[in-house]
Amino acid sequence: MKGWTGRLLRVDLSARRARAEEIPAGVLRDYLGGRGLGAHLLYASGRHRLDPLAAEAAFVVATGPLTGTRAPTASRTSCTALSPLTGTLFDANSGGLFGIRLKRAGYDALWVEGAADTPVVVVVDPDGVRFDPATELWGMGNRAVRAALRGRYGPKAAVLTVGPAGETGSRLANVAHGERFFGRGGLGAVLGAKRVKALVVRGDGPVGVADPQGFGFVVGECRKWLAAHPITSRGLPGFGTAVLMNVVNAVGALPARNFRQSRFGRAEAVSGEALREVTTGRKACPGCPIACGRRVSLDGREVQGPEFETLWSFGADLGLADLETVIRLNLLCNDLGLDTISAGATLAAARELWEEGALDFDPLEGGPAGVARLLEAMARAEGPGELLRHGSDHLARTVGRPGAAMTVKGMELPAYDPRGCQGQGLAYATSNRGGCHLRSYMVAPEILATPKRVDRFAWSGKAGLVIVQQNLNAAVDSLVLCRFTGFALSEGYYARLVRTATGWDLDGQELLTVGERIYTVERLANLDRGLGRDHDTLPRRLLDEPVPDGPSAGHTVRLDPMLDEYYRFRGWDEGGRPTARKLARLGLGGPEAADV
Amino acid sequence: MFEQFREIGRDLFVAGLITSHGGNMSVRLGDRIVITRRGAMLGRLRPEDLVETGLEADDAMVTLASTELVVHRAIYRATSALAIVHTHPLHATALSLVEDAIVPVDSEGSYLLHRVPVVAAAKTVGSLEVARILPPALRDHPIAVLRGHGAFAVGALLEEAYMVSTTLEASARILCILRSLGTDRIREYREGADRYDRW
Repeated sequence: MKGWTGRLLRVDLSARRARAEEIPAGVLRDYLGGRGLGAHLLYASGRHRLDPLAAEAAFVVATGPLTGTRAPTASRTSCTALSPLTGTLFDANSGGLFGIRLKRAGYDALWVEGAADTPVVVVVDPDGVRFDPATELWGMGNRAVRAALRGRYGPKAAVLTVGPAGETGSRLANVAHGERFFGRGGLGAVLGAKRVKALVVRGDGPVGVADPQGFGFVVGECRKWLAAHPITSRGLPGFGTAVLMNVVNAVGALPARNFRQSRFGRAEAVSGEALREVTTGRKACPGCPIACGRRVSLDGREVQGPEFETLWSFGADLGLADLETVIRLNLLCNDLGLDTISAGATLAAARELWEEGALDFDPLEGGPAGVARLLEAMARAEGPGELLRHGSDHLARTVGRPGAAMTVKGMELPAYDPRGCQGQGLAYATSNRGGCHLRSYMVAPEILATPKRVDRFAWSGKAGLVIVQQNLNAAVDSLVLCRFTGFALSEGYYARLVRTATGWDLDGQELLTVGERIYTVERLANLDRGLGRDHDTLPRRLLDEPVPDGPSAGHTVRLDPMLDEYYRFRGWDEGGRPTARKLARLGLGGPEAADV
Repeated sequence: MFEQFREIGRDLFVAGLITSHGGNMSVRLGDRIVITRRGAMLGRLRPEDLVETGLEADDAMVTLASTELVVHRAIYRATSALAIVHTHPLHATALSLVEDAIVPVDSEGSYLLHRVPVVAAAKTVGSLEVARILPPALRDHPIAVLRGHGAFAVGALLEEAYMVSTTLEASARILCILRSLGTDRIREYREGADRYDRW
């Protein structure tokens, strides 16, 4: 069958050895690749019960059946591990060349377990694995490491790196993929605990599809829609993801001052329109027709521009409504390997705690330069950074004010106040990787009218929409395509891409069933880790404190009735556990799949 | 929710997509279905014209539900649809009598539908046969036509199912107009259109 290589490369850092294994075709059909394959491998191995930073814990890098093909955005890579921030199974994906090179080296996935005794660079070639010393790279920022590795391994090598935040075990540490990131959840700390400074892969084998003509036709139809939809053809290409700032603020759903407000008076200063004034060019991941990335000018040079969520976290949430400041802080976080959403939101929580006398320092003291020093301290585990480096949940609990943490399952919420979009509240609460807008993006129908507008304040009927999105997104993450394609494409398009690429007769509904299976396996893993209904909730502020003013004034999230409807719809019991009937329907009855 | 049913029902009637007492609509709420009442006039819906019953199991309300409840249930069980609109569009139904699939040639229909399957059953109203053969056609297409009877459209929202219902009939009208002009050949303007009949 085309689309997959059918091979997994298993690397044991403790023993410094590696071996290739076959992945059964049934596993690839049941979980596709990327997020689904990562979840399956971890769950089936039983290692989902471990401490995320234990040596025996695994870190999985996976591709999908479309990776390296001409399918739009098929250049992404997925990483899955246990999250030190949320305690859940956790995946993240990013654009870049690593997945393509891995597949061209002959592998669908890379499994990394164990821990090296000294810092290493793991180098994967088609003919073997090497463990190169990285002691001299330890402590370096992502930018310098990337430059050093390019010189060492050549321009065709694809590289994932860990910044200082990952080395010190910050729960906000990400993994860098060039100028893109596997964000949220602290996956950088997992590699850091294994003393992996970088993963390098080189491969140039062919990637074929089963039905080249049919595949080309479906790719063409996908590109037509991506070129026609206003979000993918004008909004994102024209302004980057920051196009959302003024749109979300206008409806009173942009959190400000650690969610104490739902409108930000200075949003214009950090909006997509403002960013466009300093934009020098667009940046696209390989094979992406959308090109949402920005290049901007700073101090007379061209640098990477910030994403919407970063402009929000440092701008609206923390209150630094100065575009140049956010551009600088974004570059700093990227070099340190800190997740920008969680870092900015943690500082916003710290600011609230200081205002209320629960913290003895003001994170905004010293202005932008002071914030930069704090970020550096967070990444390097120094001084006041020690208190902040594990996120707002850890911070708020440490100072005895847990209500100040705007988190779900320990992860900082992103840039949408669910009191102004009820379905997004349910999506946050039920997200199986914590406070995240990517499991289900109800902002699309509730604010962006995509595919059609729904009443953003209504709660009845939202559960079904959230579930369909969660299932579809699980499948798309397992094909390892960009979520933005979902603005323009439906499950039928994705299924046709898979069908023509692999020769497997998959339809849109079966794709959604695969997504549901993946979501359920993630749920089962989280249940095994003690995360159930009690954790499917929101910060009290969002449930009890009405929005003070603006277009969403007076609203709180009506979570309980939505959650009841959600569990019934999912076929889970009142405790949020999948029923035996549901598990059987998904082929998950009895012992889960055999170990691979 | 009633407002949605009422507005879309009225529009379906005004657009000529249903007869006075024809057609039906439903939405899925978890393990429950809200469906229009048997014999309801969709163009003049009242709150009591909506009936809630189980997705799987019967209860007393099934006596009031649309005759097509069995088909709606089967579609929900086989697909991820959260809403269904069933219409009796004149031109699409006419084409279903002579074609095995309706392949639009207009721009909107080409983008949204590509190809609309036609399925045939000997018993076409509230039949188990339809409940068996129609849902598979909707697993990969947002709308399908039951030969000689009408169209079933699905979506995440009633509005989506309504939209593809109107798109199908507009495309079908254009095809019928072309045939009335004595041709069904067009000057091709669409990239990749030679594969639309295999969508």
